[in-house]
Amino acid sequence: MSELDLNFMGEVADTPRGNGILLCIQCGRCSSGCPVARLTNEHNPRRLMEMVILGLKKEILPTELPWYCLSCFTCLDRCPQGGDVGDVMFAIRNLAVKNGNIPAGVFGQAKALYETTRVINPVRSALEKRESMGLGKLDNEGLTDVQKILKKTGMEKIVASK
Amino acid sequence: MKYAFFLGCLIPARELSYEVSVRKALPEFGVELMDMKGANCCAPFSIQSVDYDSWLALSARDLCIAEEMGMDIMTLCNDCYESLLMVNTLLKRKPELKDRTNAILSTVGKEFKGKIEVKNLVDVLYGDVGIAKVKNAIKEPFNGLKVGAQPGCHLTKPKRIHFELLRGFNELDSLVQATGAESIPYERKEMCCGGPLRDINDDLSRKVSREKLRALKDAEVQAVTTVCPFCFLQLDLGQLEVKRHFNEEYNLPVVHFIELLRMSMGMKLEDWEIKSHRIPITDLFKGRL
Repeated sequence: MSELDLNFMGEVADTPRGNGILLCIQCGRCSSGCPVARLTNEHNPRRLMEMVILGLKKEILPTELPWYCLSCFTCLDRCPQGGDVGDVMFAIRNLAVKNGNIPAGVFGQAKALYETTRVINPVRSALEKRESMGLGKLDNEGLTDVQKILKKTGMEKIVASK
Repeated sequence: MKYAFFLGCLIPARELSYEVSVRKALPEFGVELMDMKGANCCAPFSIQSVDYDSWLALSARDLCIAEEMGMDIMTLCNDCYESLLMVNTLLKRKPELKDRTNAILSTVGKEFKGKIEVKNLVDVLYGDVGIAKVKNAIKEPFNGLKVGAQPGCHLTKPKRIHFELLRGFNELDSLVQATGAESIPYERKEMCCGGPLRDINDDLSRKVSREKLRALKDAEVQAVTTVCPFCFLQLDLGQLEVKRHFNEEYNLPVVHFIELLRMSMGMKLEDWEIKSHRIPITDLFKGRL
């Protein structure tokens, strides 16, 4: 038997991108248009919404379920309720990250942003090519600002956690 | 026409040829690109996945820089476009979100005012330059080359920030046709390239690309054109990955739309630019390179 957390839907709905969950009528238009759901049974946005509604928090937050979405927003445009499924995915991901569930690729980008202002950085040969072509230098003058912002929002703690 | 030029992360890191083509072609239309000093990453999906407030504040900081420059932003990447456009739209529409974000930005001495617009390459060419002016610049039209255009997700979705369903689709098609090429319809054209799952779930990411490549092949296109660096990476380099993992070969040359435009304007691509394509483009564009 799964342990239910009946507050979970409320918890998701209280996050800034999560209130669409309250509008879900389980019609399945999100799943029928989802390019990932076509390719794997692991991902099914309607089912994920259902799991949130039922309170299956432990079956979602520590697992891979939050990390299949492409954020292509097909579901968001298809939802007849204006339930913004694609946004609810971000709400679930934010909660998953708070629970320590963050894929290495996402963590790497967040860390790079904190350290360099960019999530992806050029290798030396690309920088040399850039210079030889007289293109504008890539600066990181915004670094102090970025670090101050992430300190203020608390994201610094997540980046520094590993 | 002056724009605050938002370069993003992926283009300077992996797709210098995209940036160079834009810098060479756009001045022909009277477009001036001004670099954004001190800009940070747009806060794409990876960052949005981590923390909501950080997304708003980081994006808004870039918007503030453009506001200080007094210019609209032009981006070359659908991911940057979506992030900046969404935050610009949200903060303009919702005063409480604007206050919430400005409270964070006050720690770095910035304030979002909501004075500028966020545009992408298609907006600038189709909307601001105008299709007539683009057509006038074509000196060596492609005469019916069959091209599959990949708009990418966030050129067109979600409709709540674009105000109409799949806006950007027809604009890109018109631009492709302006070069004399034919924009071939293909199945699931609106579908994602698979890029957002790269480095998170590589297997699925490749499977999505493969669906796209299959549909393009089925439509018998001779080349694919993209306006987003993630789509380009996913469909060009992605073909080698699909070959390695699924033993399927597509051999579809992929070019940035701006390269297609440049060639049709009679501007030759340089050797290093040609070599930056993983699927060779030399046979298809012989005489234009």
